[in-house]
Amino acid sequence: MVKQKWETRPLEVWNKAKELRAKWQKSIVTASSEKVLLAQGNVNWAVGFPALRVIEDNPVGAMMANRNDAFSRKCRLAGEIEGWGREICGYQLNCWGAMYLGHLEDGSPFPMRDMVIPFPDPCDQHTKRGQAPMDYSPIPRWQANFPLYTGPRDPEREKAMIEDKVQCTLQMIEDIERIYGQKFDDEKFIEAMKLSRKIHAYAREVSLFMRNIPSPLSVKDLYSFYTIGGLTKLDPEETLDLWKSLRDEVEWRVKNCIAAVGTERYRWMETHPPPWHFLRYYRYMEKYGAVCIGSQYSHMMAGAFEFTEDGTWAPRDMFGSFEDKPIRTREDAIRAMIGEDARGHNFKVDEVIRPYAVCEFARAYKVDGAILPLWRCGVGCTVTRKEQGLRLSQIGVRVLHYEGSQPGDRTDLDENRLLDMLDTWMESQGLRKLED
Amino acid sequence: MEKCREILKNRHQYAREWKKRTGGKIIGYYEPYMPEEVVYAAGVLPVRLLAEHEPDDVTDRQMYGNCACSRDILNQFIRGRYDYIDGIINAEGCQWMLNAFQTTLNNQPTLFNHYVFVPDYVDGKTSKDVMYSELKVFKTALEKWVGKTITDEALDDAIEVYNTNRRLMRQVYELRRADHPVILGSEAMDMVLASQIMDKREMNQILKEEIPKLADRKPVVDKGVRLMLIGSETSDTELEKLVESLGANIVIDELCTGSCYFWNEIIPQFDRLMAIALRYLGRPHCALKDNNWRRRPAHIHQLYEDYQAHGVIIAKQIYCHPHGTDNWMIWKFLRERNIPFHYFERDTTLPHEETRLRMEAFINMIKPDLVYK
Repeated sequence: MVKQKWETRPLEVWNKAKELRAKWQKSIVTASSEKVLLAQGNVNWAVGFPALRVIEDNPVGAMMANRNDAFSRKCRLAGEIEGWGREICGYQLNCWGAMYLGHLEDGSPFPMRDMVIPFPDPCDQHTKRGQAPMDYSPIPRWQANFPLYTGPRDPEREKAMIEDKVQCTLQMIEDIERIYGQKFDDEKFIEAMKLSRKIHAYAREVSLFMRNIPSPLSVKDLYSFYTIGGLTKLDPEETLDLWKSLRDEVEWRVKNCIAAVGTERYRWMETHPPPWHFLRYYRYMEKYGAVCIGSQYSHMMAGAFEFTEDGTWAPRDMFGSFEDKPIRTREDAIRAMIGEDARGHNFKVDEVIRPYAVCEFARAYKVDGAILPLWRCGVGCTVTRKEQGLRLSQIGVRVLHYEGSQPGDRTDLDENRLLDMLDTWMESQGLRKLED
Repeated sequence: MEKCREILKNRHQYAREWKKRTGGKIIGYYEPYMPEEVVYAAGVLPVRLLAEHEPDDVTDRQMYGNCACSRDILNQFIRGRYDYIDGIINAEGCQWMLNAFQTTLNNQPTLFNHYVFVPDYVDGKTSKDVMYSELKVFKTALEKWVGKTITDEALDDAIEVYNTNRRLMRQVYELRRADHPVILGSEAMDMVLASQIMDKREMNQILKEEIPKLADRKPVVDKGVRLMLIGSETSDTELEKLVESLGANIVIDELCTGSCYFWNEIIPQFDRLMAIALRYLGRPHCALKDNNWRRRPAHIHQLYEDYQAHGVIIAKQIYCHPHGTDNWMIWKFLRERNIPFHYFERDTTLPHEETRLRMEAFINMIKPDLVYK
């Protein structure tokens, strides 16, 4: 038995996060009885409507995979029978498979969506997102573009792209007001936009604290929070409180050397979501004193960072001068939400236009190794993964790839083999389990 | 006809000879949304990068889970088959092709390259403005690269050459529509594929000579089963030939390398770039860009009816996500109309015997229906 180097303790704010997540989960099924419209999608402006709730199928599908393998398998099969490819995103197959079956895992009726407001993203699966509920039962669906181009930033080129985003958003809001007779509350939206900046700032600090040795959080801890305020939409005030509490607690943990892994001696990173049905491998790696500090994906609430010329790790702020601009109208708020960089800043954009960013992340978080999944299904979860592995190897980060179907699809992941691979990989780096 | 087949078979040789003959540059492109007219107006030959479907052992280092088409394009670059290509363009289509574009650049960073953003929401109110803006940026980048201005006259000429090609290809397809077609599906498909790798002016000349000869032909298939082919892109005619060997004929397709490539023309207007932008946004929707305004099922149905097909083959490239996601809607709509269809997945190569068995069973399934009719 190796002596623990640092104290560990559970996060106090963890229960609050669980509570909020459960509240969100429940809000999906109760929407109909509350006379609230349920939209497939992920947009921040939905808060302006008095009776509209947006639910993205990603966290729904991920949760299904985590909680009930037998049911999610049944759902995927239902999707395949309808004609979906087996290599399609497991999140979508789980979620819409349940729609085809007509019920959720507990047998309650599937909460049908009332409209679709897609979540634009470079991933092709996102582009097609929400077509299943639209094609299944005729409901309105809107669409927006995710502008992209390679090479350096070109603000001139982006003018039409930003205008397109603004006009699409305005159009969607006006359409929903007209079709459903709900009045959009501009004040509430503007307030939520301002709060979202504060939430973002707290998330950034949490992300930065994880650079500390020992890391105050592991990615497994972070996964309890990282979608709250993003994919998991809750009351903005409540969300802000949660992130503030988390920031305060993590800061305290850093000051007092409270570690996520008391025996931390090895830091590793990932690049994309883990197999949600098999999170045990994080704990397994802890036996080697290895802590996973996450990925550009799991740190997405914090936005994108980069090394500045003076060598500091700083946020790449796409909102820039908007901080000083007054937000008075709906359009001001939409422009503030979109920011000044049409391409946005997230891990997926980085894969396309800043492939070197993965190496910067590795350097900033002082990682020794990287475990990069190769997902066979869902294009956005796989694209550029091999190249990222090559890039990380070139800067001295040890890389392990493993294969599977998709984070929400257990079909092709050989769990025992993955654990064997972890043993071989760690031992090849001269590390043995500290305890068994 | 043979000329097209020969050129397609020896397409690398054709491109090298074209380069030698004209001294011009060649651009390789990945997706059918690439505004070829702008490239052609710059005096550059646009060549569609087509997959060879050969087993590949070199791209594993850079790619995982990609469709065979995108992998094979990278494979060919690494093997040096595209050594005549001076630049590559990706006009936003599917993510695998974007991946192939980027990875090719990682391997060959000196190539001229440009990414044209094409809105996924092709029917959006402001999408035409975005596309127009992108075309302006693209034109400027090309002008800088070739060192000359792309004039309105050059654009007019390119538009005319391309529109002529589209009209001629529609004539070829019209011959497929007849009760007793004088052209086989594989022959027509060879012509469309050849048109994507050839200088359109030369292709037009060939078509002008060949179409009257085709019209004088005797029917090549007499009362066979008429099939429609839809699905992911393809770059050979193996499947069409296989179907023909079983006494059937593919009379129409809805492939991005087939009819969708040439179906709509540019409607000339004073602002040439806007005319081009509208043409590319208005082309038959590909699976990826068939979003909230669903046009693809109706287009498929119209072609099916117009060409009096008896059944549909849905050939999806394995790992093709846009089609993998769109399929269930297509299945649903075909079922609702009692249209027989057969779904199968293509991989790198076509497993001949297995595919033959499946196609034979499908064709035999349709035949009794024809007797009753």
